[in-house]
Amino acid sequence: MNQGLNLLVGLAMGLNLVALGTGRLPSLIRLAAWQGVVLGLMPLVIEAEWRVMTFVVATATVVMKGLVIPALLRRAMRTANIDRDLDPLIGYLPSLLLGAAGMIGAVAVAQRMPLLPEHHESLLVAGALASVFSGLLLLLGRAKAISQVCGYLILENGIYLFGLLLIHSTPLLVEGGILLDLTVAVFVIGIIVDRIQRAFDTLDTRKLTVLRE
Amino acid sequence: MTAGNLLAGGALGLLLSLTSSPRAPRAWLGTVLAGSLLGLTAAVSVLVTGEAWEWRSTFAIGGESVHLRLDGVSALFLALLAVGGAVSAAYAHEYWPDRAHPVSAPRGRGWWSGLLLSMGLVLLSSNGLHFLIAWELFALCGYFLITLEGRRRAVRAAGWLYLAASHAGTLALFAFFALLAERTGSWELGPRPDEAGLAPLFWLALFGFGIKAGLFPLHIWLPSAHANAPSHVSAILSGVAIKLGIYGLVRFSGWLPTPVGAGEVVVGLGLASAVLGVAFALGQHDLKRLLAYHSVENIGIILIGLGLALIAAARGHATWGALTLAGALLHVWNHGLFKSLLFLGAGSVLHATGTREMSRLGGLWRTMPWTASLFALGAVAISGLPPLNGFVSEWLVYLGMFGAVNQPATVTAAVPAIILLAMTGALALACFVKVCGVVFLGAARSPEAAGAHECTVGMRVPMGVLAAACVAIGLAPALFWPAVHTAVTAWRGTWANVPAPVSLAQLGWVHTALVVAAVGAAAGLGWRARRGGWRRAVTWDCGYAAPTARMQYTAGSFAGILTEWFAWALRPERHVQRPTATFPPHARFEEHTPETVLERGIAPCARGVLRLAAVVRRLQHGRTHAYILYLLIGLAAVAVMALAWGGVGP
Repeated sequence: MNQGLNLLVGLAMGLNLVALGTGRLPSLIRLAAWQGVVLGLMPLVIEAEWRVMTFVVATATVVMKGLVIPALLRRAMRTANIDRDLDPLIGYLPSLLLGAAGMIGAVAVAQRMPLLPEHHESLLVAGALASVFSGLLLLLGRAKAISQVCGYLILENGIYLFGLLLIHSTPLLVEGGILLDLTVAVFVIGIIVDRIQRAFDTLDTRKLTVLRE
Repeated sequence: MTAGNLLAGGALGLLLSLTSSPRAPRAWLGTVLAGSLLGLTAAVSVLVTGEAWEWRSTFAIGGESVHLRLDGVSALFLALLAVGGAVSAAYAHEYWPDRAHPVSAPRGRGWWSGLLLSMGLVLLSSNGLHFLIAWELFALCGYFLITLEGRRRAVRAAGWLYLAASHAGTLALFAFFALLAERTGSWELGPRPDEAGLAPLFWLALFGFGIKAGLFPLHIWLPSAHANAPSHVSAILSGVAIKLGIYGLVRFSGWLPTPVGAGEVVVGLGLASAVLGVAFALGQHDLKRLLAYHSVENIGIILIGLGLALIAAARGHATWGALTLAGALLHVWNHGLFKSLLFLGAGSVLHATGTREMSRLGGLWRTMPWTASLFALGAVAISGLPPLNGFVSEWLVYLGMFGAVNQPATVTAAVPAIILLAMTGALALACFVKVCGVVFLGAARSPEAAGAHECTVGMRVPMGVLAAACVAIGLAPALFWPAVHTAVTAWRGTWANVPAPVSLAQLGWVHTALVVAAVGAAAGLGWRARRGGWRRAVTWDCGYAAPTARMQYTAGSFAGILTEWFAWALRPERHVQRPTATFPPHARFEEHTPETVLERGIAPCARGVLRLAAVVRRLQHGRTHAYILYLLIGLAAVAVMALAWGGVGP
């Protein structure tokens, strides 16, 4: 519907692929932050006329996703004093290929979905599905707890993209709910990361299998 | 005094006994006896007048107002509960005293009161929800009573098996009552003979109540629980608790319509229980386990009567149907009486010798004359011999079956039933000849048996009461007909006009004559023996110069021929070491009949389930990444399903 929006969504999808291909933890966090900023700009592009509420949502998203959460993650990374390598379970190239396949699949599925006429031209749904898939892939394919948090962030961004479809009807509810959820989750994971590090001297989640019962 | 006041008094007595159970055994016994007496009076008043008592509360428990009802059917079982509960409690007072069991005796008294209260509630509840609550309480009290001696591994295993089986049954009952409530729109229970849609629920009830009743092949929990529980607990379990399963079947087959073929299935299950129950009993070497299998047999006899009554009700034949049902219901009483007596007798033997193994007993007649006589009386009764009560109820069932055969359109199920029931009676007699012969006659097989002592008066009196009840029903069956008739009328109102069979009163006279003749003969023999002087000799002499106790028939060898006939079902385990050479150094023969259904049927199935579960458990390994993969797969599957089956759409 709107070239500017599709550009931003395409940018976010590209960032997904870069995130899947990157091998360093700081750059992964940075990528997640950039994606958050891109997502934060979207409400401004969607709305035909700018309202106060739109600004509030956009600012809150940029601040939380682009600044606060990455800062929290960087701090966790520093205090836990972990190795910067990502230690992949699924290699970078296979991740990239899977991510690309997921993106194509997402576009294909989005076209088959019974959407409202005004969403037909938009990439929003495809981008949302692709982000969810990329996030899950990161969760699956990376061993370190903090990199999994990044995967979770990207997954959450996908859900945010879905939420944007509803921004006309319930803007604050959707965004507020998601942001609150996310912040709490990151806090909890930050604390857990710290505890795991202290208790087990490692952040490799593969070594945590004794906790299964 | 109305039935309601009496019942309230009885409940109050039992509640008082609950509070006095930890510290005051005498007060406990007194309150239990008083409560049971009041309950018995209420039940008898309903049975005599035939007027049902109903009460509905203004308050609600669990969202349902309490609805109690005491009609002919429940009064019949309540009377048995009161007698069995009181008599076994009196026995327990001496059998399981505080000084011998400082921890488990007070605990046992508490659970006993709880058991009686919850069983009473099961019998009175006329609301599905409260019925289930009472049923569960009753099952739990039973569990804690069975595991009173929880330090022994066998007891814990038996308790666990009981609990598992009981809950499997309760699960079926949950489904039964929930579906009933769903289809009728309320949890209220009551006669609904015209709602044909409820008929299939009968199968759920048959499974749920059948497990509690211990019908074959759902009896798996019964032998080990009865054998390992303290004897007074075995007595009430076998005498009363398993009858509540029968109560459920009688109750709901009377209130609700039954599906086509229900009667035939019940008769078939009854025949299987009766014949195989007694066959398994023949193979046992453990006195209490043997008695437990006889419970399966007697439940079978009761079910044959009930099944035939169901067939009669379906065909509209009142005369013989009422007789088989009356026989079944009277057998509920009779089995409750003589099986309690036998278990209490077995308890006295266990108390005196410390063993239940029949191969270690023998010759107890001399040291324990009271126990031996009372046990023998119970044995005669359970074998269905005149002049005792077992014969009376089986006679009624037989009369009904003859009626069924003499119909213009013969009921085919009745013909094999007559033959197999007769065979069951013969086998039961053989089994009790074995028990009495091996345990009480002959010479002691072990030092424990040789050093046995008679039980105290406090244990003899309860057994005597039960024996007297057995004799009373045997000698004056016509006196008890009105009570049973009230229950039959409560089951099928249209059968109210069926008169007492003429032969019932005649049977009473014949029995009385038999007893008089037997007592006269005994007195004559005694007089002659006294004149001639007593001479004691070794039993089982057989012409040997120096016989030993080991030369006697063992429990296994006595029943060997009969168990051989049933080897296809019993699957006995044998360990044979044949004597070889001219001077064989060592030879051995052991035979042991396992609980075949459990060990060959259910245990392998359970092991298969466990193996399957172990495979599934491998999915839970603690690797978070794989868990996320499961999530992804699940999500993808849901998405595919939604897209493929068109769940999504404008």
